[in-house]
Amino acid sequence: MLSPLPNERWNYETAAHLLNRAGFGGPPEAIQKLADIGPDKAISSLIDYEHIRGLLPDPVWAFPDPQRVENLRQAIKSAKPEDVKLLRQQENKIQAARMLELRGWWLDRMANGPRPFQEKMVLFWHGHFATSIEKIRGTPNSSYLMWRQNELFRRLATDNWLRLLIETGKDPAMLLYLDQAQSRKEHPNENFARESMELFALGEGHYTEKDVTEAARALTGWSYNAQEQKFVYRPTFHDEGTKTVLGLTGNLTGEDFLAQVVRQPQAAVFITSKLWNFFTGQFPSEELNGALAAVFRGNGDYFKPFLRVMFRSGEFYGDDIVRNEVKSPVQWLVGSARMLESDLPPPFISSAITASLGQNLFAPPSVKGWDGGTSWITTNTLLDRYNDAATLVTGTTQQLSADDFARKQGGAGGQKLAKLAQRIHIGGVDVEKILTPEERADKDSIVASLQHRLFQTTLTNDQQDALRDFLDSKEQLNDADILTTIRLMMSTPEYQVT
Amino acid sequence: MKNEITFQTRREFLRTTVLGSALSWTVPAFLADTFAALHGEAADSATQIVTGKDSTILVVLQMAGGNDGLNTVIPYSNDFYHKARPKIGQAADKVLKLNDDIAFHGSMTGFKNLYDSGNLAVVQGVGYPNPNRSHFRSTEIWQTASDSDKIEKYGWVGRYFDNACDGADPTVGVVIGRQLPESFFAAKPKGICFDNPANYRFMSNGHPKPGEEDMTEESYKKLNELEMSSPLPDGGPSMTSGDNANSGDSIGMLPAGMPMQGGRAVDFITRTALDAQQSSDEVRAIAARVQNHATYPQSPLGNSLKMVAKLIGGGLPTRIYYASQGGYDTHTNQINTQQRLLQDLGDSMKAFVDDMRAQGNMQRVLVMTFSEFGRRLHENANGGTDHGAAAPMFIVGNKVKAGLLGRYPSLAPQDLFEGDIKYNVDFRSVYASVLENWLKTKSAPILGRQFQPLQIV
Repeated sequence: MLSPLPNERWNYETAAHLLNRAGFGGPPEAIQKLADIGPDKAISSLIDYEHIRGLLPDPVWAFPDPQRVENLRQAIKSAKPEDVKLLRQQENKIQAARMLELRGWWLDRMANGPRPFQEKMVLFWHGHFATSIEKIRGTPNSSYLMWRQNELFRRLATDNWLRLLIETGKDPAMLLYLDQAQSRKEHPNENFARESMELFALGEGHYTEKDVTEAARALTGWSYNAQEQKFVYRPTFHDEGTKTVLGLTGNLTGEDFLAQVVRQPQAAVFITSKLWNFFTGQFPSEELNGALAAVFRGNGDYFKPFLRVMFRSGEFYGDDIVRNEVKSPVQWLVGSARMLESDLPPPFISSAITASLGQNLFAPPSVKGWDGGTSWITTNTLLDRYNDAATLVTGTTQQLSADDFARKQGGAGGQKLAKLAQRIHIGGVDVEKILTPEERADKDSIVASLQHRLFQTTLTNDQQDALRDFLDSKEQLNDADILTTIRLMMSTPEYQVT
Repeated sequence: MKNEITFQTRREFLRTTVLGSALSWTVPAFLADTFAALHGEAADSATQIVTGKDSTILVVLQMAGGNDGLNTVIPYSNDFYHKARPKIGQAADKVLKLNDDIAFHGSMTGFKNLYDSGNLAVVQGVGYPNPNRSHFRSTEIWQTASDSDKIEKYGWVGRYFDNACDGADPTVGVVIGRQLPESFFAAKPKGICFDNPANYRFMSNGHPKPGEEDMTEESYKKLNELEMSSPLPDGGPSMTSGDNANSGDSIGMLPAGMPMQGGRAVDFITRTALDAQQSSDEVRAIAARVQNHATYPQSPLGNSLKMVAKLIGGGLPTRIYYASQGGYDTHTNQINTQQRLLQDLGDSMKAFVDDMRAQGNMQRVLVMTFSEFGRRLHENANGGTDHGAAAPMFIVGNKVKAGLLGRYPSLAPQDLFEGDIKYNVDFRSVYASVLENWLKTKSAPILGRQFQPLQIV
């Protein structure tokens, strides 16, 4: 179990697999570089990211802003009733614009930042500790709170499990999302207590209803300071009585409760299974899961050494795993930009694309996060992927009508957006950048080179023939035809997996 | 026509053998009996849901924003009502009376007409325990049929598909709208969604010259194996019959099976691509071919129901259609807004019923409306109403128990809960009835437990 992949199996394809899963993929040169330096250095180049500089700047509004919140509160308080609505609308508009910026900011880090693995982990934690702006958007400065949680996941991306659980429990967006902010000893709210056992750390069947009510009592006192926009412990809210959670008895606090959760043998089994699933697309066998949990425990519940063993293991490169995971919408978009060395479309298009494909960042469908796997693929989302590929590749929105925009944005203003989109630089693929003049002069080379770039393997003979037929139908091959070829390659079942 | 039948056969072929091939990869031969039984079940449910002019259809109509039920089905002779609503209360001479106490809003002539002809049931005072007044959360509760303190991952329609429509055509659910509503979320998502059928397709960027074939589209079809160069012979491979589907000897020519059972994800996507192409062709062909036989209001809802009518007329094997009408969040100047919306609702519904009658499909169709909550008994200072709780649902069809169902909630101050009227009927009792009596399936596995079905059909 989990013995290292033999060095002789390290090659372009296994290196590509690592980069696709631990990051968001990359162009052939990046893959080749990983293949050349060997598995240990390749893994280290991704996961030992702390020393890597060149990070993208934070949004300018990414800080708590008590003064602004207070001003808004005062303005609303003293405004005439008819103006209150206006003030609220203005604030909503500001926050909506910031959320859009935030989505773009994060996608930019994934697509262009120097630490793709760290961002992949942030994406994992966002799905794991699913928190939605939809619920907390009414709170002043809500975009800051969403950014702050995102930063927390980044800071502790590969840190210690208990530390991450406690800090997430005290995170303002989480305090609001799962109602912990409203919990008092007189009427403890069970939401966070329940989900932290059911969804975050143990799984169903590994705690009792009694544990939930007792844990909720232990957690009382964890609260939110709306003025300062930060966690606050309120002793007067805390239930000082004796509680028993998962066999531990005493005047327990929230920290005591989460420590007792992590002490359960199941805690290591649960989180390592979820990580294995996220990075491989499969659930581990019981035996494998046991081995994963042992490695995790053996490393003091720290994620980084655990993930290093995981990415180095022969199992990670199994035939049932390589090129057998459905790309998430974010992986699809970001990976395409990285593999094709193209720019991401501007935030309002990028975020509309991932949302229409089923993954609206900062707005997971429920506290259970995204299902992932084959549930990403429906007839609708598949056709959308095929059509969005044209947008990404050609850099134009000719595929997108006003209706599409209205649909993707989930609201009116489609006409306006469609007009705007015609004028906006979306990116598009630069053929000269990804194909040499020699390759472009030869139709077989075009197909071979693009396959190597987009799939790191070969398509079926029938598919290669179809692409060849397409190129043959053009008398004078131009860049537009090559772009269409790329779009066609992305409009295949094979491109939807990695 | 021949071609279409072949296609249908191949699709069915792929679908029914999915189970066979997947299991035969992973399950030892001695489990063959279990497999045969499983396959039999899959075949049963498939024949149940596959089209046929007999299967029933449900149209779910969302009134988004929280409709003010008190000004829709109006207790016009109730003093508490008029006291609480001095500005927006509807006077007895303006309403459409159903009896001495209850009336429709004056603009609901379409509904009154359906009520009088025995095609409309009004379920009064529908809600759920511990009501939530957030649009987001209460909509989620209605869409997932959850208790108000529980989060469900999947929607009630999605769970219906998961439970009763395994192996069904993707068009078993059709949403006219921009996004799949949460009620459609499922373990194995089904259902297609579009606001304009023209967009539900692979869009070529090929710019073919006039008379030239579109090579981009051709190539896309080849790459996705959407064109069969050698159609499978009708009834050819015998795996479509349950008896020897587990024999496994011809399985080499098939996709490996469901990914979660050890097959390849790419095979699942290949089948979805085939479904997408097929349903896209069907939907666009029907939209172009089928004519409406009624005049609908020129409104988004009118257009949506117009499309639903076309798709029903065109014979899509759909069991659940979903359409919505927005704008009911009437915090300010409610009178004009609600007047317009209810007029549109009633007229659109009436046109839809006329269309169904002209098609001869009326006996197959049931329409159910819902809104995430009703509104406060007391009007607010801006000539509107704020978020409340219980509200009526409307059920339209040939076989409904027409009339007023349930009890109108009491408006007496001592009977209110935090200013809201209390529900008498849990909305899940209505869902239970629709599932059991209309869609003919057990409701408990879908709704999480047994709710007493309210007899509505």
